Amino acid sequence: MVTQKDFTKIDDYTWELPQHYDGRMQVPARIFGNRRVFEAAFGDRSVEQLMNVAMLPGIVSYAMAMPDMHQGYGFPIGGVAAFDSREGIISPGGVGYDINCGVRMLASALDEEEMAPHLDALLTAIYHACPSGVGGDGAVSLSHQELDRVLTRGAEWARQQGYATQDDIERTESRGCLEAARAEAVPDRARERGLPQMGSLGSGNHFLELDVVDAIYDDEAADAFGLRQGQVVVQIHCGSRGLGHEVCAQYLRRLQGAPQRYRIPIPDRELVAAPVASPEGRDYLAAMSAAANYAFANRQVLAHFVRRAFEQVLAGRVRDWDLHQVYDVTHNIAKVETYAVDGETRELVVHRKGATRAFPPGHLEVSAPYREVGQPVLVPGSMGTASYVLAGAAESMTRSFGSSCHGAGRTMSRKEATRQSRGEAVRSALNAQGIAVRTRSMRGLAEEAPYAYKDVSLVVDSVVGAGLARKVARVVPVGVVKG
Amino acid sequence: MGQWEEVDHTADVALRIRGDDLADLLTTALEAMSALSVVVGEVEQGRVRELALEAPDAEALLVDWLNEHLYLAERDGVAYRVMSFDVCTPTRLRARLVGRPILERRRSIKAATYHHLEIRSREGGLETEVVLDV
Repeated sequence: MVTQKDFTKIDDYTWELPQHYDGRMQVPARIFGNRRVFEAAFGDRSVEQLMNVAMLPGIVSYAMAMPDMHQGYGFPIGGVAAFDSREGIISPGGVGYDINCGVRMLASALDEEEMAPHLDALLTAIYHACPSGVGGDGAVSLSHQELDRVLTRGAEWARQQGYATQDDIERTESRGCLEAARAEAVPDRARERGLPQMGSLGSGNHFLELDVVDAIYDDEAADAFGLRQGQVVVQIHCGSRGLGHEVCAQYLRRLQGAPQRYRIPIPDRELVAAPVASPEGRDYLAAMSAAANYAFANRQVLAHFVRRAFEQVLAGRVRDWDLHQVYDVTHNIAKVETYAVDGETRELVVHRKGATRAFPPGHLEVSAPYREVGQPVLVPGSMGTASYVLAGAAESMTRSFGSSCHGAGRTMSRKEATRQSRGEAVRSALNAQGIAVRTRSMRGLAEEAPYAYKDVSLVVDSVVGAGLARKVARVVPVGVVKG
Repeated sequence: MGQWEEVDHTADVALRIRGDDLADLLTTALEAMSALSVVVGEVEQGRVRELALEAPDAEALLVDWLNEHLYLAERDGVAYRVMSFDVCTPTRLRARLVGRPILERRRSIKAATYHHLEIRSREGGLETEVVLDV
């Protein structure tokens, strides 16, 4: 069993398990985080899962885990791994079932005091406008032809339907559309599940949240992002719904024979993989990208209905009820990106499972309005705690394949969380903190209780310490719609 | 007679399943997943269907079996229970199922995973641990 003593401290925020620790490892494994974060990583099986990732053939540089790492399946949550796009592999287990689960932030022109009298009405309007819950249908029903357009165009489909502005598209990672998508690579059953669910939040850890900016750390970046002290913002956290789950499940099934066919040794069947250049690998990349486009469109449609709820409640009551998009990031994805590795420019397939892209100032992939300050990185905390807006830092390109953390990271199982408190008690505690809650599931509320998560500040301080991102702003919740 | 228990897992749900044989293991795994995810009503007359699956091995068959039931529950609003297996081998099954209407969905389960999935012989029966993505 791997222990803390097997790791070498590289610096105050980087810990490395050498490749020679296990003969099957192809590269060293690295954990980013301060000593407390590093020690906490050994509380579950996530380090073992990180070692498994380091065993995948063709992995470049390191198997990496962000400070919010915790046990998942296949990859650990918080795992990042890159493979050569021509000679390497791609693994559905390195992305997960909720393809392009991600976070969107919208910023209002309102201060907390202006919004406070309308908070309950706003939450109720959002709760009704944005369907949530297990397996539920969405606000928009798609035809097969429309679904094809969603799968290939992503957020651009939403713009053409009147759900997005051009500015929204500019302020979305990859402009809300992965060009590798092919609608025909998406299995029929995934399509069937996607038809009724466009514009739905889902359940589990998904949420819609009203927050107030309570700290600004970087004036220039905050100004570029359109954020200021005391301002009301909205966060939307969800993904590709049943369509994405089905794409992952079906390709995991299809790829079960690939390790034998292509002689790819794998330590865990959830990590089945195929060469990126193989028919299976190309099809998975195309289907996963299509599911990602569905998720970009889904968050965009939800943003539209949040805007409509703001208008319905606030029109005529406040001076300006508009919501402008700060950014939309994905944290479960595999993307083709270009990096300098050992002095050589290489095209890599970067898998991020519970990790967020964090491109630095000057990177051409960063939307034009943000290019001088770096890409916004949205890091939601748990329900009762702060969330952070970061900006990608230069060192992320050499240290973590342009990646940062994606959230607080769980420390407690759902079972233990529900054992400690009932949903009603969690709601009362949140209400006592001044946080209003709407949910269909009291059990879900208990599972997502703040005490089940790490301290997000510790996680954020670690990515800042490791040089992966810079702090820009902190927001605190005032109202939550829990999926 | 199958038994199941929930095992601690930081992010998702892990189940330890025991069964006298593969049919019992599959039946118990389905009952466990249903118990964790839905509240169901009474068995409805006429809600009977067959389900046939083929897979390369018993572990893949278990994953396919659970994922098929997740799909049916989402599509039909029905949680099925096993009446009998006409065929149940490590690579093939044909089951007769009876459906109960889902009254409440308690928890979203995205999929059953292959993560370190292994069906082992134990005390004259079979045992496995399966991780469900929630």
